[in-house]
Amino acid sequence: MTALLSTQPDAVISELGLSLMTTDRVEPSATDTAAADKRRQFEEQALPYMDQLFGAAMRMTRNPSDAADLVQETFVKAFQAFGQFQQGTNLKAWLYRIQTNTFINIYRKNQRSPYQGTIDELEDWQLGGAESITQSVSTRSAEAEAIDHLPDSAVKDALQSIPEDFRFAVYFADVEGFSYQEIADIMKTPVGTVMSRLHRGRRMLRELLADYARDRTPGTPASSRSKK
Amino acid sequence: MTDCGCEKAKAELEEYLDRELNEADFQDVSDHLENCESCTSEHLVALALKLKVKQACRETAPDELRNAILSKLADA
Repeated sequence: MTALLSTQPDAVISELGLSLMTTDRVEPSATDTAAADKRRQFEEQALPYMDQLFGAAMRMTRNPSDAADLVQETFVKAFQAFGQFQQGTNLKAWLYRIQTNTFINIYRKNQRSPYQGTIDELEDWQLGGAESITQSVSTRSAEAEAIDHLPDSAVKDALQSIPEDFRFAVYFADVEGFSYQEIADIMKTPVGTVMSRLHRGRRMLRELLADYARDRTPGTPASSRSKK
Repeated sequence: MTDCGCEKAKAELEEYLDRELNEADFQDVSDHLENCESCTSEHLVALALKLKVKQACRETAPDELRNAILSKLADA
């Protein structure tokens, strides 16, 4: 309460239904100053990650309003736990861990993906072809070229359509540049699982984007490569 | 200079891409890619995809979110 008084006197006073407007503006006590320092330190260190966390939240929740709520909740939780954060360790990974946990606790309850829970047990053949092995050099060059020219929206749509665990692994590795070990810590899975999710997630993405590029190339049948 | 061959390179291409290999393995795969067009083309597709995903997912948090967070922290 004392900490609140020093930072937001008006809000607290109105909350308490008090009409005193000046008595709280006295010399701040030692605890007030410490609390203010803590908040300043948190804001300086953590707020710069807001855009990145929002980007991740967009891929998690799939809409801007839920994403904003998730990021806000993440910052509130992180601030409350900031005393436990060890200075000098990886703050970004720590924030992502909180956001991922928060997402799972709040949102996964409501919108369970049909794959959830069994996804790591799916066999490779259930997840799409491994045709890259048989591709020629020129086919691959064309594929890399096509990927370069894809609109961002196509990439986001494709990412959005792959199962959550794969999507998160790809996002954490490719967008955030987290190491396998960091992703394992954030997702609370063994490193081997991270590698397998990354591998499969990228393959699904590649497949979806190849389909997208092909569908936009005139004169090519829509799903000529599909083997189903 | 050692060429580890396509099999090892293909198996480690993803860790190579993600800079997860130790120095010796990284060098082996690099050396192989120097000489193998097929593995190089496979690597370039993976690299194009990685860079594309990174670029496509860039977002900026709305201003209202920043303000909302600051006021939440002040009340915390």
